[in-house]
Amino acid sequence: MSAVKTISQYPTEYEKFSDALPGQLVSWLRLLRQDAAQHFSAHGFPSLREEEWRYTNVSAIEKKLFSPVATSEIGAVDMDSLKQHLIADAWSVVLVDGHYSASLSNLDGIPESVTVMNMASAVEQRADLLEKYFSQVVDSKEHGFVAFNTAWFSDGLFIHVPAKQVLAKPIQILHIVTQAGFMANTRDIIVLEESAEAKVIETYVGCDDAYCSAAVMEIALEQNADLTLYKLQMEGEKAYHFGGTYVKQARDSRFTHHNFAFGGLLARNDTHTDLGHASACDLNGLYLGVKRQHIDNHTRINHLQPHAISHELYKGVLNQRAKGVFQGRVLVAEQAQKTDSMMNNRNLLLSDDAEADTKPQLEIYADDVKCAHGVTVGQLDEQSVFYLQSRCVDKQTARNMLTFAFANEMVGKIKLPELHDRVLAQLLQRFPQAGIQQDWL
Amino acid sequence: MSTSAQEIDSYIGQKYKDGFVTDVEVDTFPPGLDEQVIAKLSAIKGEPEFMLEYRLKAFRHWQTMTEPNWAQLNIEPIDYQSISYYSAPKKDSDKPQSLDEIDPELLETYKKLGIPLDEQERLAGVAVDAVFDSVSVATTFKGKLKDAGVIFCPISEALQEYPDLVKQYLGTVVPSGDNFFAALNAAVFTDGSFVYIPKGVRCPMELSTYFRINAANTGQFERTLIIADEDSHVSYLEGCTAPMRDENQLHAAVVELVVMDNAEIKYSTVQNWYPGDENGVGGIYNFVTKRAECRGANSKVSWTQVETGSAITWKYPSCVLLGDNSVGEFYSVAVTNNYQQADTGTKMIHIGKNTRSTIISKGISAGRSQNTYRGLVKVAKNATNARNYTQCDSLLVGDKCGAHTFPYVEVKQPSAQVEHEATTSKISEDQLFFCQQRGISAEDAVSMIVNGFCKSVFKELPMEFAVEAQALLGISLEGSVG
Repeated sequence: MSAVKTISQYPTEYEKFSDALPGQLVSWLRLLRQDAAQHFSAHGFPSLREEEWRYTNVSAIEKKLFSPVATSEIGAVDMDSLKQHLIADAWSVVLVDGHYSASLSNLDGIPESVTVMNMASAVEQRADLLEKYFSQVVDSKEHGFVAFNTAWFSDGLFIHVPAKQVLAKPIQILHIVTQAGFMANTRDIIVLEESAEAKVIETYVGCDDAYCSAAVMEIALEQNADLTLYKLQMEGEKAYHFGGTYVKQARDSRFTHHNFAFGGLLARNDTHTDLGHASACDLNGLYLGVKRQHIDNHTRINHLQPHAISHELYKGVLNQRAKGVFQGRVLVAEQAQKTDSMMNNRNLLLSDDAEADTKPQLEIYADDVKCAHGVTVGQLDEQSVFYLQSRCVDKQTARNMLTFAFANEMVGKIKLPELHDRVLAQLLQRFPQAGIQQDWL
Repeated sequence: MSTSAQEIDSYIGQKYKDGFVTDVEVDTFPPGLDEQVIAKLSAIKGEPEFMLEYRLKAFRHWQTMTEPNWAQLNIEPIDYQSISYYSAPKKDSDKPQSLDEIDPELLETYKKLGIPLDEQERLAGVAVDAVFDSVSVATTFKGKLKDAGVIFCPISEALQEYPDLVKQYLGTVVPSGDNFFAALNAAVFTDGSFVYIPKGVRCPMELSTYFRINAANTGQFERTLIIADEDSHVSYLEGCTAPMRDENQLHAAVVELVVMDNAEIKYSTVQNWYPGDENGVGGIYNFVTKRAECRGANSKVSWTQVETGSAITWKYPSCVLLGDNSVGEFYSVAVTNNYQQADTGTKMIHIGKNTRSTIISKGISAGRSQNTYRGLVKVAKNATNARNYTQCDSLLVGDKCGAHTFPYVEVKQPSAQVEHEATTSKISEDQLFFCQQRGISAEDAVSMIVNGFCKSVFKELPMEFAVEAQALLGISLEGSVG
């Protein structure tokens, strides 16, 4: 909220594109966008002075002034290059430079009752349904990125699964940015009606130059709904990434999140969930930082009703000059008795210049609760390294094996075999030799 | 638990035991603060020139600052101009030379507080530097300490007798512009304690000071400075009680500890300021800046605190571990009840190599109180093999109170090992049931459990303080949990 922040170059740059944005004819959306744009103009992107952003400096995004992508500028992507990112046994939706690509997407055989539609079409064809959920899970004034996203999102995906519908295959959303200087600004909404069940995979990839992708996802889970969300953030190494996943859980619903943050120069992820009566959430995260990467994971779990359960485990491996940030907050409201909450954050520092900042928080207003959190920051156990060396494994390999084992716990939680193997391959690529099977060990 | 409602009721019924007002004529400044007030204050105290400059510099800086608002506290706005910044017992120009000369009413006050000023208590082996409002009234055991070379005196006296020593260290740990309340304190502090332990000396007795806010509407701003030179050791006790008053009283203290090579300071506090009544009216606002600097190798600082009083507690005793192999410890029990609010914790800044720190924090909240642990563990880049272990547990008594944990961990050194654990729960019903099933009443059982919960902190307190702390916990929780 400092005075300097009130001057952001983005509003003037983006106002020019406003008319081309989807939903300008839908009055409630237009108002929302205007309101958010005003808020953003006044506050800009978050500054280090804001408590939730004290470890993550995003001023570079302001300086670089990433440009919005007009439909005419969308880069060409061929199917073959996407193959390596797409899961074969899944419905897929591809967003190129923040715009839906019908030709690259594949929704064959999806049940007719299920709506999977890009946001630009949805705001016109399903405006009434959308209004019920849009900006309801997260306030567009939450912080600069959400306001920015609300004001100028170019497209996204709307998924609506009707009551008691169980999706046989996962839906994969692939975000790809093709050119330097682009800003892919997308908004996704996922709604699972009563007792519906779905699995969604978000994948973020992009070119090797500096670009920015800002995605906000709102998820509404109705009674007894069940969503498993996988997020694979594998942005290019000069990319800036902001991903916000905001969830509202009704009674007895379940939300499982697997968040893998591997890419990006500066990556920030927000995962917030509001827990209803006897609902459950399971948040898993793994962040691997190398070179000068800065990876920030921010989670907030609001226990608003009794009997809800939350489990959270985030692990980080930081090498070279990487910086890892974890901020987790668990709030237990006064009426949320019988809450069971467990939060854990484990960090492994592998080099002299790596840094880990972690801030787990408990805010508890109810008395009959079981809440705990734990944090560790440390290095590899020298005795374990020594043990492996005594078994003729060289030091570097031994370290790789142990680091791999540390990280693999999170990969092991992936329930989709194909996805599991893909992420495992990613991990092995980073820690060569770590997967060797030697029977004499 | 079935008994909780009735426990809370009886809890609320507890009256503040130490609430009484001593009728002593006081020489008090009219309310208000400006540079003239500070100059007058400095003149009354007969301070050297550098002190006045120091105060004015702090005051000018303070005017540019705003109150911190990041804590989990709900504070009524404080009007700093409505506070009187000096109050002294009338006879300050003619300081008493022996106990006989002291106002009998004062002695009575101390008796009620159990301060060992007379002969009989002298045998207890505790030297007491009692601060009644702002001026030190009596100091005992001076001779014995002098033989050992230890300087233990009011800081106003130290400013006159050892100005160079004070000048050398004052404000080096907590700079005058460190934070809003520290700046205010630097500008207007009236008195406090000064301790210097020379090289190689082990202080022959535990040092103790009792502070007491008496006159209405007077802020109390103490300044404590303790220097432990090489190879020395000192254990310092601080305890507070305050009489019952309706106005919110401001208390902004600064404590600075300097620890040289191989030296050790153990600083223990029992804080029992008036917490306000059962409706949250009145009570002390306690904003304290405490910091220790382990400047030497192998130095050690240990903070132990039992916080049961004050309407608002804002206090973060910290350790800056500069010297290699230095050790910082923080043990805390914070009890809040009714509408009390506490935001307390510690900072451990690891700078030297092989530095170690331990944090054990126990928070108990009851009634409608809010109890927050806020801590920072920071490992700088060159602090190889730094080690920290943090444990903060919260116990909730009643369903209208809150317990919060806000730890910050910042590590820039891969060989550091940092662990943090926190739990929050209410008293285990299984444990209660087990005790009751063995014929122990619910009340006794709760008392046992709470005492067990705090044991790891109480055992760090010096003997006589541990007794007082347990008694305090008893008073605070009697009828509810003990």
